[in-house]
Amino acid sequence: MSYFRITLRRSAIGLPSRTRAVLAALGLHKRSQTVYHPVEAQFAGMIMKVKELVQVAEVDKKLTKWEVRAERRPDSGFYLETAVPRMEDKGQKTGGRVLARLRGEGETKVVEGVRRENGGEVRI
Amino acid sequence: MFGAFRATNSLSGGLLWKIPWRLSPTQKYRQRQRLKAVDNVVETLSTALAKKGETLKSLERWKEEMPTEAEMLSKDKYTIFDRKEKRYRKGIHKLPKWTRVSQRLNPPGY
Repeated sequence: MSYFRITLRRSAIGLPSRTRAVLAALGLHKRSQTVYHPVEAQFAGMIMKVKELVQVAEVDKKLTKWEVRAERRPDSGFYLETAVPRMEDKGQKTGGRVLARLRGEGETKVVEGVRRENGGEVRI
Repeated sequence: MFGAFRATNSLSGGLLWKIPWRLSPTQKYRQRQRLKAVDNVVETLSTALAKKGETLKSLERWKEEMPTEAEMLSKDKYTIFDRKEKRYRKGIHKLPKWTRVSQRLNPPGY
């Protein structure tokens, strides 16, 4: 079963009470609110009445309020790296590690957060 | 003529709002985006209903009568007919709530 995913994009302030009533009937009370209604002619007709105010997509699944909220949540901007086991040094103590790092065999230092910006890394 | 107590329109009459006679290029751009957004909604509704084999009178009527954003003339996108105006046209931004109402058709010949 498919649904209309309807998001109120434009406020209905100052619009006729009939228009506002249609929004209320759809269950839209504030901007950026998302509701789901089954694909049926009666809901399509209601959307036609407020087509200038809403954004509509046809979806297969109905998301809960919390799933919609999680979708909208922005990326945290950092991630936590897991600790990498230390590499065993071969040969000389310092030389081996430097060589390993030059070969790119593994990062030994564990950093709290790394943000990627234009290819570079910024340690927090 | 100069100074704090000069007789300007806003001082002698109180509130004065001035609406520029034409739209700025950015306003025209956003107007096109809004027209496209409405076209998208109509398109989504008609494809979704067509899959179920249903139809809707208001939807059919809109698709039959209303031009899409690409089909519209720039004259109709940015101006509306007004019988009191010189050359019978004025900027669409003079229409109340113009960013939230559909105004696509004008009398033929004007």
